[in-house]
Amino acid sequence: MIKIPTRVLLVDDEEDFVEMLSLRLKEVGEKVTPAYSGKECLAILEKKDIDVVILDIKMPGMDGIVTLREIKNKFPLVEVIMLTGHGTTESAVEGMKLGAFDYLLKPADFSELTAKLVAARKRKDEQQERIRKAEAKLLLRKSGDI
Amino acid sequence: MNNIQLLLVDDEDNFRQTLCKRLEKRGFALEQAANGEECLSILEKKPVNVVVLDVRMPGKSGIDVLRNIKDRYPKTEIILLTGHATTADGVEGIKSGAFDYLTKPVEFEHLVTKILQAYEKIQRLEIERQEAEYRKKMEQQMIATERLASLGTLAAGVAHEINNPLAIIKESVGWMQQLLKKDELKDIPRRNNFEKALDKIEKSIERARRITHQLLGFVKKSDSAFLEVNLNELMEEAVQLIAHEAENRSIDILKQVDPLLETIWSDAYQLRQVFINLLTNAIHTIGSKGTITLALKNAGDHAIFTVSDTGQGIPGENLEKIFEPFFSTKSPGEGTGLGLFVTRGIVEKLGGTVEVESKIGQGASFCIRLPKKFGLNAESIGNSTETPSDRIRAHLENQDNREKNHHD
Repeated sequence: MIKIPTRVLLVDDEEDFVEMLSLRLKEVGEKVTPAYSGKECLAILEKKDIDVVILDIKMPGMDGIVTLREIKNKFPLVEVIMLTGHGTTESAVEGMKLGAFDYLLKPADFSELTAKLVAARKRKDEQQERIRKAEAKLLLRKSGDI
Repeated sequence: MNNIQLLLVDDEDNFRQTLCKRLEKRGFALEQAANGEECLSILEKKPVNVVVLDVRMPGKSGIDVLRNIKDRYPKTEIILLTGHATTADGVEGIKSGAFDYLTKPVEFEHLVTKILQAYEKIQRLEIERQEAEYRKKMEQQMIATERLASLGTLAAGVAHEINNPLAIIKESVGWMQQLLKKDELKDIPRRNNFEKALDKIEKSIERARRITHQLLGFVKKSDSAFLEVNLNELMEEAVQLIAHEAENRSIDILKQVDPLLETIWSDAYQLRQVFINLLTNAIHTIGSKGTITLALKNAGDHAIFTVSDTGQGIPGENLEKIFEPFFSTKSPGEGTGLGLFVTRGIVEKLGGTVEVESKIGQGASFCIRLPKKFGLNAESIGNSTETPSDRIRAHLENQDNREKNHHD
């Protein structure tokens, strides 16, 4: 079976972290775009098709929660996995209320991360599929009306 | 006036004995001495509130005796008796710390009034002293509480900063492990050495991660964070923290968990504090060799958590006091006297109750009853945001008001 790569946008102000995690995700076949701030993340989403954003909560400037709100506002189909220090699990919960798919404690376990990526990607695909079907029905009904 | 212990010192036997009888009739407890030396030896044996002291005596003069008394028994008040022509002695006496002086011949009612006034002064000073002591203790505790809070913030900050480089190390090691699995690196020399070293790094990261997460877990970020709480996990976590200490002291920890108890809706950060407080108390009270039994029970709308120890137990008269702030039977520096106060504060804030049962020699058992869905119903979280430090402040303010009333 051919694996269709998940298009991941990895957002963290720690460049070394982004670099290493990108290498690992690419190694297991994902397509990774790095971003080092909330602003950069949003700019990339404007230009590129992304399936899942991995988003650090604690960033200088525009923090993860603000970024998440913007993402869900402008790109509601994109799934977001939050990365958090243990002390900020409350913001992680807040994030999930705002529509994040899930969260992971930093430093995160790689296999857990990849499992969550798969699940997030699946939800996005399913959602897209439902939208497609709904659109098709709508089209059908319209043509029936004629 | 029955509580007032008097000592009458005068070398004139007749005068002294007559005065003694009259004072005894008024209900004073009385000792008498014929000279300064005798007076001081009585004071050595018996606590006296007020000394009525003749100035002119053979041997040690009244003023010298007065200085001796004030030196050794600063709480004792002294009324001097002076001759008509020697009021200068009286003035000198007041300078040396006498409460007042009366000139002979003494008007009896006048003397009684002076004695009562002197006793009132003693009582007032005692109250002031106690209040000052209490206040000082309060302030010290508040400083300690605040210091602890800022220490917590610092610890959290450090833990957070460590987590980031830790995450980088973790991903780097993971990356190397991924690479080693690749075909192109299948036959590299000393492969085992690399794998072993990477494995060690990975395990150490896990260890450091546990520490930072534990540290961060203790710092409360916001006022209330109501989440689904698994009491069993929380209990396990607290037990993990004290397991080492318990083992060192040969204390066994038994756990009984009701399988029917599921998660409750409450504040995990605060409850963790409750678990830890009760467990550390149990360990301290046992000292060494004993058993702590922890039980989690399901009771309808409530969850019940009990901590029982095999320590020496709590005497009946202390059962209510143990929840008061700063009440502690531990030696100074060991206990803050805040543990159970904070515990009860938290539990009540979360809509629960704390009960204690104890018999001397048979240990103690603390029972915490928590509602399963606190804050989810109409009675919301907002009406009970009072923190333990608020309670301490309220306590201090009460104290202030009491003092004001006292002075008014």
